[in-house]
Amino acid sequence: MKHVPTDDLLLFRSCLVSVEYPGVEASTKFVFDKLGVDYAISEKQTCCTGLGHYSDVFNQIDTTAIGARNFKIAKELNRPNLVMMCATCYAINKKSVKLLNKKDDLRNHINQLFDENGLSHLKYEKDDLKPTENIFHVVDILYAKKDEIKNHVKYDLSGYKIATHHGCHYCKVHYEDTIGGVRDPNIMDEIIEECGCSTIGWYDHKRTTCGTGFRQRYSNPDLSFTATADKMNAIDDEDVDILVHLCPNCHIQFDRYQHLIAQREGRNFRAIHLNIAQFIALAMGGDFDKVIGVKAHTVPVDSVIKDLKEVEK
Amino acid sequence: MTNQQKITDSPIDFAEKIINDVKNSKEDGVLKCVQCGMCTSTCPAARHSDYNPREIIERVLEGDISIIEDDNIWNCFYCYTCHSVCPVGNSVCEVNQILKQIAIENNVGYDKLYEYLGFADSYFTAAIGAIPERFFQDIDRDVPGWWEFRQNLEEIRKELDLNPPLMPSEEVIDEVSKILTITGFKQKIEKIRATEEAVK
Repeated sequence: MKHVPTDDLLLFRSCLVSVEYPGVEASTKFVFDKLGVDYAISEKQTCCTGLGHYSDVFNQIDTTAIGARNFKIAKELNRPNLVMMCATCYAINKKSVKLLNKKDDLRNHINQLFDENGLSHLKYEKDDLKPTENIFHVVDILYAKKDEIKNHVKYDLSGYKIATHHGCHYCKVHYEDTIGGVRDPNIMDEIIEECGCSTIGWYDHKRTTCGTGFRQRYSNPDLSFTATADKMNAIDDEDVDILVHLCPNCHIQFDRYQHLIAQREGRNFRAIHLNIAQFIALAMGGDFDKVIGVKAHTVPVDSVIKDLKEVEK
Repeated sequence: MTNQQKITDSPIDFAEKIINDVKNSKEDGVLKCVQCGMCTSTCPAARHSDYNPREIIERVLEGDISIIEDDNIWNCFYCYTCHSVCPVGNSVCEVNQILKQIAIENNVGYDKLYEYLGFADSYFTAAIGAIPERFFQDIDRDVPGWWEFRQNLEEIRKELDLNPPLMPSEEVIDEVSKILTITGFKQKIEKIRATEEAVK
Protein backbone atom coordinates (compact mmCIF):
# COMPACT_ATOMS: atom_id res chain seq x y z
CA MET A 1 0.00 0.00 0.00
CA LYS A 2 1.12 3.56 -0.65
CA HIS A 3 2.53 5.52 2.28
CA VAL A 4 -0.09 7.54 4.13
CA PRO A 5 1.22 10.20 6.54
CA THR A 6 -0.40 10.73 9.94
CA ASP A 7 1.64 13.86 10.76
CA ASP A 8 1.77 17.40 9.35
CA LEU A 9 -1.82 17.23 8.14
CA LEU A 10 -3.93 20.22 7.18
CA LEU A 11 -7.53 19.19 7.83
CA PHE A 12 -9.26 20.90 4.89
CA ARG A 13 -12.50 22.60 5.93
CA SER A 14 -15.51 21.60 3.83
CA CYS A 15 -18.30 24.10 3.14
CA LEU A 16 -20.98 21.38 3.24
CA VAL A 17 -19.65 19.73 6.39
CA SER A 18 -19.53 23.14 8.09
CA VAL A 19 -23.15 24.06 7.49
CA GLU A 20 -24.96 20.75 6.94
CA TYR A 21 -23.24 18.08 9.06
CA PRO A 22 -20.81 19.79 11.47
CA GLY A 23 -20.72 16.56 13.47
CA VAL A 24 -18.55 15.10 10.72
CA GLU A 25 -15.86 17.66 11.57
CA ALA A 26 -16.26 17.17 15.33
CA SER A 27 -16.15 13.37 14.88
CA THR A 28 -13.09 13.53 12.64
CA LYS A 29 -11.24 15.59 15.27
CA PHE A 30 -12.42 13.24 18.07
CA VAL A 31 -11.16 10.15 16.21
CA PHE A 32 -7.92 11.80 15.05
CA ASP A 33 -7.21 12.86 18.65
CA LYS A 34 -7.82 9.31 19.92
CA LEU A 35 -5.50 7.90 17.25
CA GLY A 36 -2.77 10.50 17.78
CA VAL A 37 -3.04 12.02 14.30
CA ASP A 38 -1.26 15.38 13.98
CA TYR A 39 -3.50 17.91 12.22
CA ALA A 40 -4.45 21.58 12.19
CA ILE A 41 -7.11 23.73 10.54
CA SER A 42 -6.52 27.04 8.78
CA GLU A 43 -9.02 29.88 8.76
CA LYS A 44 -7.37 31.21 5.62
CA GLN A 45 -8.22 28.15 3.53
CA THR A 46 -11.27 28.56 1.30
CA CYS A 47 -13.75 26.17 -0.33
CA CYS A 48 -12.43 23.90 -3.12
CA THR A 49 -15.09 25.50 -5.42
CA GLY A 50 -17.02 22.16 -5.43
CA LEU A 51 -20.59 22.97 -6.44
CA GLY A 52 -19.36 25.89 -8.55
CA HIS A 53 -16.89 23.66 -10.37
CA TYR A 54 -19.32 20.83 -11.02
CA SER A 55 -22.14 23.13 -12.03
CA ASP A 56 -19.69 24.33 -14.72
CA VAL A 57 -19.66 27.91 -13.41
CA PHE A 58 -16.00 27.68 -12.37
CA ASN A 59 -13.71 26.56 -15.17
CA GLN A 60 -10.50 24.61 -14.54
CA ILE A 61 -8.31 27.72 -14.38
CA ASP A 62 -10.59 29.41 -11.81
CA THR A 63 -10.60 26.28 -9.64
CA THR A 64 -6.88 25.57 -9.98
CA ALA A 65 -5.88 29.18 -9.20
CA ILE A 66 -7.98 29.00 -6.02
CA GLY A 67 -6.34 25.62 -5.34
CA ALA A 68 -2.85 27.09 -5.74
CA ARG A 69 -3.69 29.62 -3.02
CA ASN A 70 -4.87 26.87 -0.65
CA PHE A 71 -1.78 24.74 -1.40
CA LYS A 72 0.44 27.71 -0.52
CA ILE A 73 -1.34 28.05 2.83
CA ALA A 74 -0.61 24.38 3.58
CA LYS A 75 3.04 24.77 2.61
CA GLU A 76 3.47 27.89 4.75
CA LEU A 77 2.10 26.08 7.78
CA ASN A 78 4.55 23.25 7.11
CA ARG A 79 1.53 21.02 6.74
CA PRO A 80 1.87 19.87 3.13
CA ASN A 81 -0.45 16.89 3.65
CA LEU A 82 -3.99 17.96 2.86
CA VAL A 83 -6.70 15.70 4.24
CA MET A 84 -10.27 16.12 3.09
CA MET A 85 -13.59 15.29 4.79
CA CYS A 86 -15.40 15.63 1.47
CA ALA A 87 -14.82 13.42 -1.58
CA THR A 88 -15.36 16.34 -3.92
CA CYS A 89 -12.68 18.47 -2.19
CA TYR A 90 -10.41 15.42 -2.42
CA ALA A 91 -10.91 14.91 -6.16
CA ILE A 92 -10.76 18.59 -7.07
CA ASN A 93 -7.59 19.30 -5.09
CA LYS A 94 -5.83 16.17 -6.33
CA LYS A 95 -6.65 17.09 -9.91
CA SER A 96 -5.37 20.65 -9.46
CA VAL A 97 -2.07 19.38 -8.04
CA LYS A 98 -1.72 16.94 -10.94
CA LEU A 99 -2.40 19.65 -13.51
CA LEU A 100 -0.11 22.21 -11.86
CA ASN A 101 2.76 19.71 -11.84
CA LYS A 102 2.19 18.26 -15.27
CA LYS A 103 0.93 21.11 -17.43
CA ASP A 104 3.67 23.72 -17.64
CA ASP A 105 1.50 26.09 -19.68
CA LEU A 106 -1.23 26.13 -17.05
CA ARG A 107 1.19 26.59 -14.14
CA ASN A 108 3.08 29.35 -15.96
CA HIS A 109 -0.17 31.08 -16.90
CA ILE A 110 -1.47 31.10 -13.33
CA ASN A 111 1.92 32.15 -11.92
CA GLN A 112 2.16 34.97 -14.45
CA LEU A 113 -1.31 36.21 -13.46
CA PHE A 114 -0.19 36.12 -9.81
CA ASP A 115 3.05 37.95 -10.65
CA GLU A 116 1.34 40.69 -12.63
CA ASN A 117 -1.27 41.36 -9.98
CA GLY A 118 0.62 41.58 -6.72
CA LEU A 119 0.02 37.94 -5.74
CA SER A 120 3.54 36.60 -6.29
CA HIS A 121 3.46 35.06 -2.81
CA LEU A 122 0.89 32.56 -4.12
CA LYS A 123 3.02 31.21 -6.97
CA TYR A 124 3.12 27.44 -7.30
CA GLU A 125 6.43 25.78 -8.14
CA LYS A 126 6.36 22.47 -10.00
CA ASP A 127 6.09 19.57 -7.51
CA ASP A 128 5.41 21.86 -4.53
CA LEU A 129 2.91 19.14 -3.67
CA LYS A 130 2.57 15.62 -5.07
CA PRO A 131 -0.88 14.24 -5.84
CA THR A 132 -0.29 10.77 -4.38
CA GLU A 133 2.00 11.76 -1.53
CA ASN A 134 0.21 14.88 -0.24
CA ILE A 135 -3.50 14.70 -1.08
CA PHE A 136 -5.69 12.42 1.06
CA HIS A 137 -9.18 11.73 2.27
CA VAL A 138 -9.91 11.15 5.97
CA VAL A 139 -10.56 7.46 5.17
CA ASP A 140 -6.95 7.08 3.99
CA ILE A 141 -5.72 8.30 7.38
CA LEU A 142 -8.18 6.06 9.25
CA TYR A 143 -7.04 3.13 7.15
CA ALA A 144 -3.39 3.84 7.92
CA LYS A 145 -4.27 3.83 11.65
CA LYS A 146 -6.78 1.00 11.51
CA ASP A 147 -4.83 -1.40 13.67
CA GLU A 148 -5.07 1.07 16.55
CA ILE A 149 -8.84 1.61 16.29
CA LYS A 150 -9.74 -1.47 18.34
CA ASN A 151 -7.79 -0.13 21.34
CA HIS A 152 -10.26 2.75 21.63
CA VAL A 153 -13.58 1.03 20.90
CA LYS A 154 -16.07 1.51 23.73
CA TYR A 155 -19.43 0.48 22.29
CA ASP A 156 -20.40 -2.72 20.51
CA LEU A 157 -22.19 -1.88 17.25
CA SER A 158 -21.96 -5.42 15.89
CA GLY A 159 -25.69 -6.03 16.31
CA TYR A 160 -26.56 -3.62 13.50
CA LYS A 161 -26.77 -4.42 9.84
CA ILE A 162 -24.22 -2.13 8.23
CA ALA A 163 -23.59 -1.28 4.57
CA THR A 164 -21.12 1.15 3.01
CA HIS A 165 -21.42 3.68 0.21
CA HIS A 166 -18.03 4.71 -1.15
CA GLY A 167 -18.26 8.17 -2.71
CA CYS A 168 -17.58 8.32 -6.44
CA HIS A 169 -15.15 11.21 -6.07
CA TYR A 170 -13.06 9.22 -3.62
CA CYS A 171 -13.11 5.94 -5.57
CA LYS A 172 -13.45 6.65 -9.23
CA VAL A 173 -11.79 9.95 -10.13
CA HIS A 174 -8.19 9.20 -9.12
CA TYR A 175 -8.61 5.43 -9.08
CA GLU A 176 -4.84 4.80 -9.13
CA ASP A 177 -4.69 6.23 -5.59
CA THR A 178 -7.83 4.59 -4.20
CA ILE A 179 -7.22 2.19 -1.32
CA GLY A 180 -9.41 -0.89 -0.95
CA GLY A 181 -10.78 -1.32 -4.46
CA VAL A 182 -12.56 0.73 -7.11
CA ARG A 183 -15.06 -1.60 -8.80
CA ASP A 184 -15.61 -3.44 -5.54
CA PRO A 185 -14.77 -0.73 -3.00
CA ASN A 186 -14.03 -1.95 0.51
CA ILE A 187 -11.88 0.59 2.36
CA MET A 188 -14.70 1.52 4.72
CA ASP A 189 -15.77 -2.11 5.19
CA GLU A 190 -12.24 -2.89 6.36
CA ILE A 191 -12.16 0.08 8.76
CA ILE A 192 -15.57 -0.83 10.20
CA GLU A 193 -14.35 -4.38 10.86
CA GLU A 194 -11.73 -2.90 13.20
CA CYS A 195 -14.63 -1.78 15.42
CA GLY A 196 -15.60 -5.43 15.86
CA CYS A 197 -18.45 -5.19 13.33
CA SER A 198 -19.00 -6.81 9.99
CA THR A 199 -20.70 -5.12 7.05
CA ILE A 200 -22.97 -6.81 4.51
CA GLY A 201 -20.13 -6.39 1.98
CA TRP A 202 -21.24 -6.36 -1.65
CA TYR A 203 -24.83 -5.45 -2.49
CA ASP A 204 -26.59 -4.55 -5.71
CA HIS A 205 -25.58 -1.00 -6.73
CA LYS A 206 -22.81 -0.81 -4.10
CA ARG A 207 -20.62 1.19 -6.45
CA THR A 208 -23.40 3.35 -7.91
CA THR A 209 -23.56 7.13 -7.42
CA CYS A 210 -25.65 8.57 -4.57
CA GLY A 211 -27.52 10.46 -7.28
CA THR A 212 -26.53 13.99 -6.26
CA GLY A 213 -24.99 14.67 -9.65
CA PHE A 214 -24.39 18.24 -8.46
CA ARG A 215 -26.76 20.18 -10.74
CA GLN A 216 -29.09 17.18 -11.02
CA ARG A 217 -30.27 17.39 -7.40
CA TYR A 218 -31.24 21.04 -7.69
CA SER A 219 -32.09 21.55 -11.36
CA ASN A 220 -33.17 18.07 -12.40
CA PRO A 221 -34.55 16.44 -9.22
CA ASP A 222 -36.55 13.71 -11.00
CA LEU A 223 -33.41 12.33 -12.62
CA SER A 224 -31.44 12.74 -9.40
CA PHE A 225 -33.94 11.01 -7.12
CA THR A 226 -34.60 8.21 -9.62
CA ALA A 227 -30.89 7.39 -9.56
CA THR A 228 -30.82 7.57 -5.74
CA ALA A 229 -33.80 5.21 -5.61
CA ASP A 230 -31.69 2.47 -7.26
CA LYS A 231 -29.41 2.60 -4.27
CA MET A 232 -32.05 3.06 -1.59
CA ASN A 233 -34.12 0.16 -2.89
CA ALA A 234 -31.02 -2.06 -2.83
CA ILE A 235 -30.19 -0.94 0.74
CA ASP A 236 -33.75 -1.60 1.86
CA ASP A 237 -33.82 -5.01 0.14
CA GLU A 238 -30.89 -5.91 2.41
CA ASP A 239 -32.74 -4.54 5.46
CA VAL A 240 -29.80 -2.30 6.34
CA ASP A 241 -29.81 -0.38 9.66
CA ILE A 242 -26.82 1.92 9.08
CA LEU A 243 -25.44 3.19 5.78
CA VAL A 244 -21.90 4.52 6.22
CA HIS A 245 -20.44 7.01 3.73
CA LEU A 246 -17.56 9.44 3.32
CA CYS A 247 -18.84 12.54 1.57
CA PRO A 248 -21.25 15.30 2.65
CA ASN A 249 -22.81 15.41 -0.82
CA CYS A 250 -23.85 11.75 -0.48
CA HIS A 251 -24.85 12.40 3.14
CA ILE A 252 -27.27 15.17 2.12
CA GLN A 253 -28.71 13.06 -0.69
CA PHE A 254 -29.39 10.05 1.54
CA ASP A 255 -30.27 11.66 4.85
CA ARG A 256 -32.18 14.75 3.75
CA TYR A 257 -34.14 13.11 0.92
CA GLN A 258 -34.71 9.55 2.18
CA HIS A 259 -38.34 10.14 3.18
CA LEU A 260 -39.12 11.88 -0.13
CA ILE A 261 -37.62 9.04 -2.16
CA ALA A 262 -39.45 6.51 0.03
CA GLN A 263 -42.73 8.26 -0.85
CA ARG A 264 -41.85 8.23 -4.54
CA GLU A 265 -41.03 4.52 -4.37
CA GLY A 266 -43.98 3.64 -2.11
CA ARG A 267 -41.65 2.05 0.41
CA ASN A 268 -40.61 2.73 3.97
CA PHE A 269 -36.85 3.23 4.04
CA ARG A 270 -35.49 3.08 7.56
CA ALA A 271 -31.66 3.18 7.38
CA ILE A 272 -29.83 5.91 9.26
CA HIS A 273 -26.87 7.68 7.70
CA LEU A 274 -23.47 8.19 9.24
CA ASN A 275 -20.17 9.43 7.90
CA ILE A 276 -17.32 6.96 8.55
CA ALA A 277 -15.80 9.39 11.09
CA GLN A 278 -19.14 9.60 12.91
CA PHE A 279 -19.41 5.80 12.93
CA ILE A 280 -15.92 5.35 14.40
CA ALA A 281 -16.47 8.21 16.86
CA LEU A 282 -19.71 6.57 17.99
CA ALA A 283 -17.92 3.24 18.50
CA MET A 284 -15.24 5.09 20.47
CA GLY A 285 -17.83 6.56 22.83
CA GLY A 286 -18.45 9.98 21.23
CA ASP A 287 -21.47 11.79 22.65
CA PHE A 288 -24.53 12.08 20.35
CA ASP A 289 -24.75 15.88 20.72
CA LYS A 290 -21.21 16.87 21.61
CA VAL A 291 -19.36 14.76 19.01
CA ILE A 292 -21.62 13.02 16.50
CA GLY A 293 -23.86 16.04 15.94
CA VAL A 294 -27.10 14.08 15.55
CA LYS A 295 -29.24 17.25 15.69
CA ALA A 296 -28.10 17.99 12.13
CA HIS A 297 -29.55 14.71 10.85
CA THR A 298 -32.95 14.51 9.15
CA VAL A 299 -33.36 10.74 9.67
CA PRO A 300 -33.08 10.53 13.49
CA VAL A 301 -30.00 8.55 14.49
CA ASP A 302 -31.89 7.27 17.57
CA SER A 303 -34.56 5.74 15.34
CA VAL A 304 -32.09 2.86 14.94
CA ILE A 305 -29.48 3.30 17.69
CA LYS A 306 -31.69 3.31 20.76
CA ASP A 307 -29.21 2.16 23.34
CA LEU A 308 -25.53 1.44 23.38
CA LYS A 309 -23.87 -1.49 25.09
CA GLU A 310 -20.25 -1.45 26.05
CA VAL A 311 -17.89 -4.01 24.56
CA GLU A 312 -16.83 -6.84 26.83
CA LYS A 313 -13.18 -6.37 27.66
CA MET B 1 -26.81 13.72 -40.61
CA THR B 2 -23.38 15.09 -40.08
CA ASN B 3 -21.70 12.13 -41.69
CA GLN B 4 -21.36 13.60 -45.16
CA GLN B 5 -17.66 14.18 -44.88
CA LYS B 6 -15.40 15.33 -47.66
CA ILE B 7 -11.84 14.12 -47.97
CA THR B 8 -10.67 17.66 -47.14
CA ASP B 9 -12.62 17.78 -43.88
CA SER B 10 -10.71 17.42 -40.67
CA PRO B 11 -13.20 15.89 -38.28
CA ILE B 12 -10.40 15.14 -35.87
CA ASP B 13 -9.90 18.85 -35.18
CA PHE B 14 -12.74 18.76 -32.65
CA ALA B 15 -11.22 15.77 -30.83
CA GLU B 16 -7.86 17.49 -30.83
CA LYS B 17 -9.35 20.63 -29.33
CA ILE B 18 -10.64 18.46 -26.50
CA ILE B 19 -7.30 16.66 -26.12
CA ASN B 20 -5.52 20.00 -25.84
CA ASP B 21 -7.95 21.37 -23.26
CA VAL B 22 -6.40 22.15 -19.89
CA LYS B 23 -8.94 19.93 -18.14
CA ASN B 24 -8.09 16.80 -20.12
CA SER B 25 -6.08 14.33 -18.03
CA LYS B 26 -6.33 11.39 -20.44
CA GLU B 27 -3.93 12.57 -23.16
CA ASP B 28 -5.28 11.16 -26.45
CA GLY B 29 -7.70 8.75 -24.76
CA VAL B 30 -10.60 10.06 -26.81
CA LEU B 31 -8.89 8.88 -30.02
CA LYS B 32 -8.55 5.36 -28.59
CA CYS B 33 -12.29 4.88 -28.12
CA VAL B 34 -13.45 1.61 -29.70
CA GLN B 35 -17.15 2.35 -29.10
CA CYS B 36 -17.47 -0.70 -26.83
CA GLY B 37 -20.21 0.95 -24.79
CA MET B 38 -18.85 0.09 -21.34
CA CYS B 39 -19.40 3.74 -20.39
CA THR B 40 -23.06 3.69 -21.38
CA SER B 41 -23.71 0.34 -19.73
CA THR B 42 -22.52 1.64 -16.34
CA CYS B 43 -23.85 5.22 -16.57
CA PRO B 44 -26.64 6.31 -14.21
CA ALA B 45 -27.71 9.10 -16.58
CA ALA B 46 -27.94 6.65 -19.48
CA ARG B 47 -29.99 4.32 -17.27
CA HIS B 48 -32.53 7.02 -16.48
CA SER B 49 -32.44 9.52 -19.38
CA ASP B 50 -31.48 9.90 -23.05
CA TYR B 51 -27.87 10.72 -22.14
CA ASN B 52 -25.49 8.38 -23.97
CA PRO B 53 -21.76 8.65 -23.24
CA ARG B 54 -20.72 6.26 -26.04
CA GLU B 55 -22.58 8.40 -28.53
CA ILE B 56 -20.92 11.56 -27.18
CA ILE B 57 -17.50 10.19 -28.14
CA GLU B 58 -18.85 8.98 -31.50
CA ARG B 59 -20.09 12.49 -32.28
CA VAL B 60 -16.85 14.09 -31.07
CA LEU B 61 -14.86 11.79 -33.35
CA GLU B 62 -17.15 12.68 -36.24
CA GLY B 63 -16.40 16.35 -35.62
CA ASP B 64 -20.06 17.01 -34.82
CA ILE B 65 -19.73 20.29 -32.95
CA SER B 66 -23.52 20.65 -32.68
CA ILE B 67 -23.23 18.38 -29.66
CA ILE B 68 -22.52 21.44 -27.50
CA GLU B 69 -26.12 22.50 -28.11
CA ASP B 70 -27.56 19.11 -27.17
CA ASP B 71 -29.46 19.40 -23.89
CA ASN B 72 -28.65 15.79 -23.03
CA ILE B 73 -25.03 16.61 -22.21
CA TRP B 74 -26.33 18.40 -19.11
CA ASN B 75 -27.64 15.12 -17.67
CA CYS B 76 -24.20 13.79 -16.68
CA PHE B 77 -23.88 13.16 -12.91
CA TYR B 78 -20.11 13.68 -12.91
CA CYS B 79 -19.88 10.37 -11.06
CA TYR B 80 -16.80 9.34 -13.10
CA THR B 81 -18.00 5.75 -13.42
CA CYS B 82 -17.27 5.83 -17.18
CA HIS B 83 -13.86 7.35 -16.43
CA SER B 84 -13.03 4.52 -13.98
CA VAL B 85 -14.05 1.61 -16.22
CA CYS B 86 -12.99 2.65 -19.74
CA PRO B 87 -10.80 -0.15 -21.17
CA VAL B 88 -8.73 2.27 -23.28
CA GLY B 89 -8.31 4.96 -20.65
CA ASN B 90 -10.70 7.53 -22.05
CA SER B 91 -12.96 9.66 -19.84
CA VAL B 92 -16.34 10.68 -21.21
CA CYS B 93 -16.95 12.48 -17.92
CA GLU B 94 -14.02 14.80 -18.57
CA VAL B 95 -14.89 15.17 -22.26
CA ASN B 96 -18.40 16.14 -21.19
CA GLN B 97 -17.05 18.84 -18.84
CA ILE B 98 -14.83 20.15 -21.65
CA LEU B 99 -17.80 20.21 -24.05
CA LYS B 100 -19.72 22.35 -21.58
CA GLN B 101 -16.82 24.76 -21.23
CA ILE B 102 -16.64 24.99 -25.05
CA ALA B 103 -20.40 25.63 -25.03
CA ILE B 104 -20.03 28.43 -22.47
CA GLU B 105 -17.16 30.01 -24.43
CA ASN B 106 -19.52 30.05 -27.41
CA ASN B 107 -22.35 31.64 -25.42
CA VAL B 108 -24.30 28.36 -25.39
CA GLY B 109 -25.98 26.81 -22.34
CA TYR B 110 -26.04 29.97 -20.22
CA ASP B 111 -29.58 29.12 -19.12
CA LYS B 112 -28.13 26.05 -17.37
CA LEU B 113 -25.88 28.28 -15.27
CA TYR B 114 -28.30 30.93 -14.03
CA GLU B 115 -29.36 28.94 -10.99
CA TYR B 116 -25.74 28.62 -9.86
CA LEU B 117 -24.74 32.28 -10.09
CA GLY B 118 -25.52 32.54 -6.38
CA PHE B 119 -22.62 30.20 -5.71
CA ALA B 120 -20.36 32.40 -7.85
CA ASP B 121 -21.52 35.50 -5.97
CA SER B 122 -20.94 34.10 -2.49
CA TYR B 123 -17.50 32.85 -3.50
CA PHE B 124 -16.54 36.14 -5.14
CA THR B 125 -17.87 38.51 -2.51
CA ALA B 126 -17.43 36.46 0.70
CA ALA B 127 -14.97 33.65 -0.19
CA ILE B 128 -17.61 31.13 0.84
CA GLY B 129 -18.88 28.15 -1.14
CA ALA B 130 -22.62 27.98 -0.47
CA ILE B 131 -25.76 26.32 -1.80
CA PRO B 132 -27.44 29.13 -3.79
CA GLU B 133 -30.26 30.74 -1.81
CA ARG B 134 -32.66 30.36 -4.70
CA PHE B 135 -32.81 26.64 -3.87
CA PHE B 136 -33.73 27.20 -0.21
CA GLN B 137 -37.47 27.23 -0.87
CA ASP B 138 -37.29 23.83 -2.60
CA ILE B 139 -35.11 22.39 0.15
CA ASP B 140 -37.47 23.70 2.82
CA ARG B 141 -40.42 22.09 1.02
CA ASP B 142 -38.65 18.75 0.52
CA VAL B 143 -36.75 18.46 3.80
CA PRO B 144 -38.90 18.93 6.90
CA GLY B 145 -37.02 20.65 9.71
CA TRP B 146 -34.14 21.83 7.52
CA TRP B 147 -34.85 25.53 7.86
CA GLU B 148 -35.13 25.34 11.67
CA PHE B 149 -31.90 23.34 11.72
CA ARG B 150 -30.11 26.03 9.72
CA GLN B 151 -31.45 28.68 12.14
CA ASN B 152 -29.95 26.69 15.03
CA LEU B 153 -26.66 25.93 13.28
CA GLU B 154 -24.55 28.18 15.45
CA GLU B 155 -25.97 26.60 18.63
CA ILE B 156 -25.41 23.07 17.28
CA ARG B 157 -21.83 23.91 16.31
CA LYS B 158 -21.22 25.41 19.75
CA GLU B 159 -22.36 22.17 21.38
CA LEU B 160 -19.82 20.36 19.14
CA ASP B 161 -17.11 22.74 20.37
CA LEU B 162 -16.84 24.27 16.88
CA ASN B 163 -16.66 28.00 16.18
CA PRO B 164 -19.59 29.73 14.47
CA PRO B 165 -19.60 29.10 10.69
CA LEU B 166 -16.54 30.98 9.53
CA MET B 167 -16.80 34.38 7.91
CA PRO B 168 -13.48 34.76 6.09
CA SER B 169 -11.39 37.84 6.93
CA GLU B 170 -11.25 40.89 4.63
CA GLU B 171 -7.73 39.88 3.67
CA VAL B 172 -8.88 36.43 2.51
CA ILE B 173 -11.87 37.86 0.63
CA ASP B 174 -9.69 40.44 -1.13
CA GLU B 175 -7.21 37.80 -2.25
CA VAL B 176 -9.92 35.41 -3.49
CA SER B 177 -11.84 38.09 -5.38
CA LYS B 178 -8.60 39.33 -6.93
CA ILE B 179 -7.80 35.79 -8.12
CA LEU B 180 -11.28 35.40 -9.58
CA THR B 181 -10.95 38.72 -11.36
CA ILE B 182 -7.62 37.98 -13.04
CA THR B 183 -8.66 34.52 -14.21
CA GLY B 184 -11.55 36.11 -16.11
CA PHE B 185 -14.18 34.57 -13.81
CA LYS B 186 -15.75 37.89 -12.76
CA GLN B 187 -16.15 39.07 -16.33
CA LYS B 188 -17.65 35.73 -17.38
CA ILE B 189 -20.19 35.80 -14.55
CA GLU B 190 -21.19 39.38 -15.37
CA LYS B 191 -21.71 38.41 -19.00
CA ILE B 192 -23.87 35.41 -18.08
CA ARG B 193 -25.89 37.49 -15.62
CA ALA B 194 -26.52 40.17 -18.23
CA THR B 195 -28.12 37.59 -20.52
CA GLU B 196 -30.33 36.36 -17.67
CA GLU B 197 -31.50 39.89 -16.97
CA ALA B 198 -32.18 40.41 -20.68
CA VAL B 199 -34.40 37.29 -20.65
CA LYS B 200 -36.36 38.68 -17.68
